[in-house]
Order: sequence, then structure tokens, then C-alpha cells
Amino acid sequence: MNQLTAETFDQNARAALQDTQLRGALKNLADTFGERRKTAITTVENWEGLRDRARAIKDETLLHLDQYLEQFSENAEKAGAKIHWARDGREACAIVLELLKERNASKVVKAKSMAAEEIHLNAALEKEGINPIETDLGEWIIQLADETPSHIVVPAIHKTKGQIADLFVEKVGIEKTDDVDVLTKTARRILRSYFAEAEVGISGVNFGVAETGTILILENEGNIRLTTSLPKTHIAVMGIEKIVPRFTDLDIFLKLLPRSGTGQRLTTYQSLITGTKRNSTDEGPEEVHIILMDNGRSRMLAHPTTRQSLACIRCGACLNACPVYQQIGGHAYGSVYPGPIGAVITPQLIGIGKTKQLPYASSLCGACREVCPVKIDIPELLLHLRAEIAEGTNDTATHKFSEKLAFQLYSLAWSRPVFYKFGIKMSRLMQKFVAKDGKIGKVSGFLSKIVPPLGAWTAWRDAPTIAPKSFRDVWKSDLENK
Amino acid sequence: MNNSEARNAIFASIRQNLAASLPFDAAHHAHHGHLDSDFTASVLPELTNEILIENFRENLEAVGGDCSVVYDETEAAEVLLSIIQQNNARKIALSDSPLVKKIAGFLKIDAEFIENAETHVLFESDLGVTGAQLAIAETGTLVLESETERHRRTSLVPPIHVCVLEAQNIRQTLGEILEILRSRLSRTITFITGASRTSDIELTLAIGVHGPGKLHVILIDKQEDE
Repeated sequence: MNQLTAETFDQNARAALQDTQLRGALKNLADTFGERRKTAITTVENWEGLRDRARAIKDETLLHLDQYLEQFSENAEKAGAKIHWARDGREACAIVLELLKERNASKVVKAKSMAAEEIHLNAALEKEGINPIETDLGEWIIQLADETPSHIVVPAIHKTKGQIADLFVEKVGIEKTDDVDVLTKTARRILRSYFAEAEVGISGVNFGVAETGTILILENEGNIRLTTSLPKTHIAVMGIEKIVPRFTDLDIFLKLLPRSGTGQRLTTYQSLITGTKRNSTDEGPEEVHIILMDNGRSRMLAHPTTRQSLACIRCGACLNACPVYQQIGGHAYGSVYPGPIGAVITPQLIGIGKTKQLPYASSLCGACREVCPVKIDIPELLLHLRAEIAEGTNDTATHKFSEKLAFQLYSLAWSRPVFYKFGIKMSRLMQKFVAKDGKIGKVSGFLSKIVPPLGAWTAWRDAPTIAPKSFRDVWKSDLENK
Repeated sequence: MNNSEARNAIFASIRQNLAASLPFDAAHHAHHGHLDSDFTASVLPELTNEILIENFRENLEAVGGDCSVVYDETEAAEVLLSIIQQNNARKIALSDSPLVKKIAGFLKIDAEFIENAETHVLFESDLGVTGAQLAIAETGTLVLESETERHRRTSLVPPIHVCVLEAQNIRQTLGEILEILRSRLSRTITFITGASRTSDIELTLAIGVHGPGKLHVILIDKQEDE
């Protein structure tokens, strides 16, 4: 797998912009999901009130996360589930691996889970010779292609129908087709053989209810229902922030999540699972294991600005709305979570050192904040992270020197009118060397080095020139003419 | 690996970080103002059975499900028969619902009816028939509670799902349904809204990817003529 990293975001983004197949695949995203969302939010009364209420529930939960987690784990265990705690991804993977080994299980089916992606669970299992089969259509496609998801909700959005058809021809030996129905039916046929034999099913969790110990998982395909009902053992990987206090709180989140994510009133299936079956003759797995995973989440509780990252319900609306994501897709971010939400949670999850570019992968236009069902102020978070980066900056000394010099000249110029006038005159004189047709094009070479921001600024756009006559001068001469 | 050690470490980290946040919380709260905590869902008018049925049917059909409203079990059996014949179903899986068994009992046809089928038998079945304990009119959703009926796999594995629903179990909103479910919490509750679908390939809708590609609800409304 040739995976991009967040460290090279600028190069990734540039490459993505050249990828015409990718641009074609992304073209429909904003039109389809964006438009459907707009229609769907009108089918519920008081959308704004719902968003506020959802956020209030999340805030309340996060401020007392220890208590709600305690309540959740107690109630889930009372109903027969086994709770496991994982400080980080490595621990979570080790727990899954141990559960599989104890059961001598090697046939594993997997439902789509961002938490499992986050901890690279599949890679960890494969290292030990266990190959979990992804059963969500999109996830299966990218597993066959040995790629990573590029979207939280539609993981194979970066692939065209033609690429998927070619992949199926190569990997599962079907005839070449451009019929989506045929491709879908192929997936159904092949994945059913895995479901029939699976010993363990691994899923994620959308919401965990503290007062009942219930986990709720949403989907459209039915693979999650199959994963959680056919195998003898069900393992659910769950971030500790997924808790809601009351069962009836689900009302609000079930109204917000599908409408925001895919523009549906409700996804096709919801599974509400509370522990294990009551009698051995009942349907469903004999064992349910829930892995509660921190993996950097508790750190985000330390400030109200960062804490709101934990309110995210992974709907993907901010990706669909983001003008940056729409152009470059998910892979360029080089992180498991792409798009605006990825740009704010990835640096917090894996540290800012390797993800410095992500908080800048945004124009701060605010479209993400506008569509977020739990009103996460993503631009505020981006600025918060940028400030953190600037404070811990290790920029070169020359950069600092030129910046200092620039600001010193700037303050000098504004301290006396005569300095200001002199400065403008000088600039007018200097710009003759670089200006063309009233604007400054790409500046390179010597000038870009002595005036560093000019080089960076003009690399992608023109800088305006200083007008030959100032407004004051025009005003004066006009008055004189009258 | 020590589970309680990890647990304690996570709880300690949560408490420590929340404590660190305290000085910022006050300022932040003042800056951002209060959330609308008075929000309550609007009070709904009492809806007649007819309206509930109509809403349910409309919303189910909007997501590609079929709905037949019938007067009683014999009429339900006629609808089931026509579905079986239309789809040329030979192997029919039934849940353990007495209502489903009663309806299937009316059918004298050359097809195999299997109750409480094993998973491998379900994989070969052409059609699954179950009941539903509740339904949500505003979304056209069926609600299956495991405590009442064994229908988790029968409603999922065969390519066609026929569901028998009694009209008095329809409620208008999800909120009402959640209140009822909470009061008698089943170990597994399944919400079904339409047929299995995916948009994973170029956002093109495809039906029947893993679950049933067809969903047909037979709605028994005995009060229809009263």
C-alpha cells in the first residue's frame, strides 16, 4: 500500500488536483449529498433547535464523561456484554487479537468502522495471519484495491465505476461491466460466502447509551446486521466519546445523523444491541465484547475549544461541504480522518509534529461549521491549532529576522506621515522591477529571497501594485482642476 | 494486559483533563453564551388510525417499500400468496410469530414453509416472513423487538422480506417509539426503513446489496370498517 502522509499535504494536494479521474469521481459529491442534505433538513421541525440540543447533550456528556462511561459499562455488563478498556490503538488491537486467539478464530467479517481504521486494526490482524473481510461495499472495494478510505461515509468515493469494474475483473474474475447493479450483486454473492462461515464479527459503534448499556449502529446495506447477528462472537470497537446519557437522546441524533450524512430521513437499518441474548435458544451472538478506546481522546477534554472535537458524530457533512475536500478528496490529507474534521482531530490524535500542514488545509470559509449537526466550530479549532503551531514554532532564524524587520519598517512608516510618504515613494520605485501590466506576477530569484512573503504570495496569484497616484493626490489635483 | 489498569488510567486521564479545563470553561461559557436548553419537541396532535396508516404507507413507499392494507388474516394470506407467486418463491422462511404462522396456515400451495430456519437454510430461502412489533409513521419504519419474536435473521437473509404489521402498533414519531422501547427494552431492536441499499459506487443507488432487495409490508387494519 502506497499511503500518503499528512507531512506532505501540499504535494499530495497538488498531485490530487492533477488527477482527472479523481476530480471526476468527486464531482457529484457536493451536488448529490449536499443537495439531498438541504432537502432533508426541511423535513424536520426546528433544525436549529435540534442542533443546539444535540450539542448541549454532547457537552453535558463530555463534562461528566467519567460518570457516563462508568454507567454505560456497568449497564452493558449487566446485560451480558464484556467491556474492555484500551488506552491506545495498540492496546485495542491487542485485545481484538487476544479475543480471536482465545477462540481460535480466523474467519472474521468486518463492518465499516472509523475507529478500527484509526487504529489500523486490519493491518495488526494481518500481521498475525488473520485476514478480516471488509463487508461494506465501499470498504470491500478499497480492501481489494489495497487502499485506504477517502471519505467517512462513502469510503471509495475516489474511485470511478470503471476502475471498480476493472478491479472486480482482476480480483474476483467477473466479466467487464459498467452496470452498478451487477457490481453490487457480485459483492453480495461473494461476501455471503464469508458471512456463512464467519466465526467473529467486528463492528464500530455510532452511539452508546449510558442508562441502558445499549449500542446503536446505523447503516444502509445490511452488512452490519449480518456481522452482528450471524457469527458467534461480536466485537465492537468504540471511542470513549460515543456516549449519550439517555435512551431517548437517540431521537435527536437519529434525526441529525442520516439527514446530515446522506440526506436520508433515516438510514435503512438501525441495530440497537443491549448485551447478549437472554436465552441460548435466542438469535444472535453468544458473546458481545465492547472495546472502549481512548487513543488520545481524553486529552481533548482539557480545553473547551478542543473538547468540541469529541462531539463529532462522523456524518461526513463537513467533507461534502468543504471547497478544499471537493477539489482534492480524502487521500491528500494523509490521515484516517480527512476533510475539515480530519484537519482538526488528526493533529490532536497523533500529535501536531507530523500534521502541521493540516490546520492550514482550509480557507476558513466556515462551510463546515454551517453544516455540522452538532455545531462544532471547526474554523475556531483550526485557528486554535494554528496558534499552537505558531507558539511552538521552529521556523528558521532568517524567517524570523525578515518578519521582525518587516514589522519594524511597517511601524516606522505609520509613525510619521513623512515616513509613510517616503515608504510609498520607495515602493513605487522598487515595484517597477517586478510589476507588469499593473500587477506583480511570479517573483523568483533574488527579490523573492530578500522579501520572503512576496515570493510565497506570488507563487500562486498576482499581487496588486501600488497605484501611480494615491487617492489623496487624485483628490487634490481634481480639486485644483475645478 | 490488565483491563482494570487500562480502565483506571483512562478514568484518571479524563478527570485530570477535565480539571485542567475548568479555568477555561467559565470564560468560554460567558463568551459563547448559553445553549438553548429549553428546547422541547413540539407537542403532537392526536392522529387517527387512518392518518397514521396513510403517513406510514406514504413514507414507506417513498423509500421503495410496498404496502398492502388488508382487513384481516385471510386477506393478508391472499396478499402473501400473490407475493409468493409473483416472485416464484419456493422456499419460504417464517419467524415464530403466531400471527405469521396463522397467515401462512391459510395457504395451501406447493411451497416449502420453514419455521425457525437455521442460518444455512435461510441462505437458500427465497422469501422471509416476519411480524413487526411497532412502526414509525413519519419515516415508514418497521421496529422489530427480539423479546417478542425471533425475526432477526428471517427479516435479513432472504432476498425478499414480507412483514405483517398490525395497524394499532403504528405511532407517528420516533420519539414516541423510543419511549415505548425503553420501557420494555429488548436485547436487540432492529429498525427497518425500506430495502437494503448502497451508494458506494459513484453515489449511484443500488438496491439489495446485503439485506433484502424487496420489502413488502402487509398492514392489517381491522378497524377499517368500524
